[in-house]
Amino acid sequence: MARTRAKPKAGMTRKRREALAAYAFLAPDTIGLLIFVAIPMVLAFGVAFFKVDGFGNYQYVGLANYKLMAGDDQLWASLKVTAIYVVTFVPIAFVVSFALAMLVRNHFKGIGWVRSAFFLPNVVSLVVVGLIWQFLLVDKRGALSKILAPVGLGDVSFLGTPSLALGTYVVISVWFLMGYQMLVFLAGLKDVPKELEDAAQIDGAGSWQRFRYVIWPLLRPTSFFVVVNSTIGAVTGLQAFDLVFVLTKGGPARATSTVVLYIYEQAFTFNNMGYAAALTTVVVAILVVCTGLMFGFTRGGRFDEN
Amino acid sequence: MAATPSPARQLSRRTVLRGGLGAFAATAAGVPLLSACGGDDSGGNAKEMSFWNFYGPSDDQGPQSKWFVDTVAEWNKNNDVKVKLRYIPGKDYLNGTTLQTAFQSGQGPDIFLISPGDFLRYYNGGVLQDLGSALPDEAKKDYLPGLLEARSVDGKVYGLPMEIEPLAMYYSETAFEKAGLSEADLPKTWDQTIAVAQKLTGKDRYGVMFETTPGYYQNFTWYPFMWQGDGNAIKDGKSAFDSPAAVQALKFWGDTIKNKVAPRKALGDGGGDVVSNLGSGAAAMQQSGIWAVVDMRTKAKTFKYGIIPLPTPDGGSAATDLGGWAFVANSKGKNPEAAAKFIAWALGSTDAAGVERQRQWNTVVKTNLPPRKSVQQAADAKGAFADGALKKFVSQIAPTGKPEPRFPPEVYQPIADAIQACQLNAADPARAAADAAEKIDTFLKTYQGAPIS
Repeated sequence: MARTRAKPKAGMTRKRREALAAYAFLAPDTIGLLIFVAIPMVLAFGVAFFKVDGFGNYQYVGLANYKLMAGDDQLWASLKVTAIYVVTFVPIAFVVSFALAMLVRNHFKGIGWVRSAFFLPNVVSLVVVGLIWQFLLVDKRGALSKILAPVGLGDVSFLGTPSLALGTYVVISVWFLMGYQMLVFLAGLKDVPKELEDAAQIDGAGSWQRFRYVIWPLLRPTSFFVVVNSTIGAVTGLQAFDLVFVLTKGGPARATSTVVLYIYEQAFTFNNMGYAAALTTVVVAILVVCTGLMFGFTRGGRFDEN
Repeated sequence: MAATPSPARQLSRRTVLRGGLGAFAATAAGVPLLSACGGDDSGGNAKEMSFWNFYGPSDDQGPQSKWFVDTVAEWNKNNDVKVKLRYIPGKDYLNGTTLQTAFQSGQGPDIFLISPGDFLRYYNGGVLQDLGSALPDEAKKDYLPGLLEARSVDGKVYGLPMEIEPLAMYYSETAFEKAGLSEADLPKTWDQTIAVAQKLTGKDRYGVMFETTPGYYQNFTWYPFMWQGDGNAIKDGKSAFDSPAAVQALKFWGDTIKNKVAPRKALGDGGGDVVSNLGSGAAAMQQSGIWAVVDMRTKAKTFKYGIIPLPTPDGGSAATDLGGWAFVANSKGKNPEAAAKFIAWALGSTDAAGVERQRQWNTVVKTNLPPRKSVQQAADAKGAFADGALKKFVSQIAPTGKPEPRFPPEVYQPIADAIQACQLNAADPARAAADAAEKIDTFLKTYQGAPIS
């Protein structure tokens, strides 16, 4: 008996065994994503059709939660905050981390230290990052105020002034994420064949031309990934919530009330879980559309010009 | 609030947990499949009750944690239905999701702490247990006037206050001396406050400080300034926020920022944290609560400070806000009757041990005003309020206080927005007050819960 059972296994083709192994390796991720991401997403979509009071009571209200959005000034204000944040953070983070990657691309003495130093902020929890920056930026007594005092700017409150607070977040987020994105760019740069660059150099291309016509086009998939990833991060990621929550709770005067923070408030301050779920689906829809547009414009970041 | 039975009611909690899905019941808020399952035990007579709080047993095992642990141990020694403490760090308890997700999924604690700002949300959610049957008349009469009323609906008591926390203005004696000011310069009016603060403001220091981070706490600290001009957010069931009293209070806070005598962002935990601000020398005057007396006693022992009543507008009358958390029982919990009994025993017992337990909490491990007359007398006898800041709190400040309003989030939020806009964004106070009043009115028109004030 045992022999006959073992037989088909031994008879499995190499291809099938490989496939089986692949499925086995993919299974934990797939199951995890299904349980912790996919199913909650579907359920959240369902909850959006209910009025939920936060005490386990549900009342079907159809599209009422979606209709509420039109007249919700604060939702629009928070979407505006998020939009401003995205269009400033994404390009700045892109340029800074790309520049850093170019800077530490070539080997020189102490390169490990330099790379680690740039990456270091990324390993610290954002809550801790928030507390550190709070010390640096505190009114009158923060390190930055001390530096700026000689030029008469010692009184500036970076986190307490509505016109400055969001910009301050952009700076902190760039500082936090630049190391990670630098690594992504470094990995991309490693894939640029040295021969192509050498060939261009022999053909008389200067460093700018080598960058413009060799490196930059070949980096398109990496750049595309970075832009999509940092856009999603800027809308829903940790820096859009954790940092704001720790540092200003959406203040001063709602200047940093991002859409994710607003959803959180609706869910946990107002107990409007249904409305919060509906808002979430809208934000996801916006992100899907944005990502789709980016795919469209860049043809998926494909780097062959055909 | 209409309760629509979820299609998943027949699913028992265990089936779901066995399926391995339990983990995300806690994370995915508002998931109908799982949420309806926990309430099955309601009205039961389980032998163990959970008590969620932000005091103990904490890692530091400080005196406040110890009070909670000892109180529960004492109860457990003499009762069949045991109480089990669960510590939730304050930040998560106040602004986090733990409590809300638990209630949403029907897994709320049997006993928990509640602030006035959350009272109606939970009452209207139908989860607060009437404590009346567990509370003898004698105990009810022992509470100071107004305190039980603030936690009652239709004459039924739903929460027992554990403390009274009035607000005052703290000032640094050192900062006053350095600026060449004396006790005679301590401000009594708003104008004087700004004038004195100007003299106290320097390279490293602000003259005065109010809370600047938006939230329930900021609203709580701002209300007295509105009350001083005889204003209120709601009067006779209607919004009264667009009153001159509210407008001038909004303007006063804005003026402290405009004149650059107050910070836009505070140190440490903000306005409630006197040690980090006044204590560090970053502010010369700071509005804060009575809890700071014990904070200063333990963390800034040698720092010389005093307190004064909150300054008033010209022609206004003194007022302060009486905060204070309460114990409440979950009516859908595992054993609501026993939970009510525990609360009545822990905070309301009128025997010698009960009074002593309350005296310890209010004047030894923490500094509050005791909410009960007998406890105040016992504390007086021990000289708790004989001198210093506490004496002033009892004799001068508390008598001008009103219990913290129990505004639901829909009333709290427009006020919070008005305060923030006027304080930090130079908005026109009259306009901001009118906007807030309109929003409150819109809400009140469809509000169907328990009376707000």
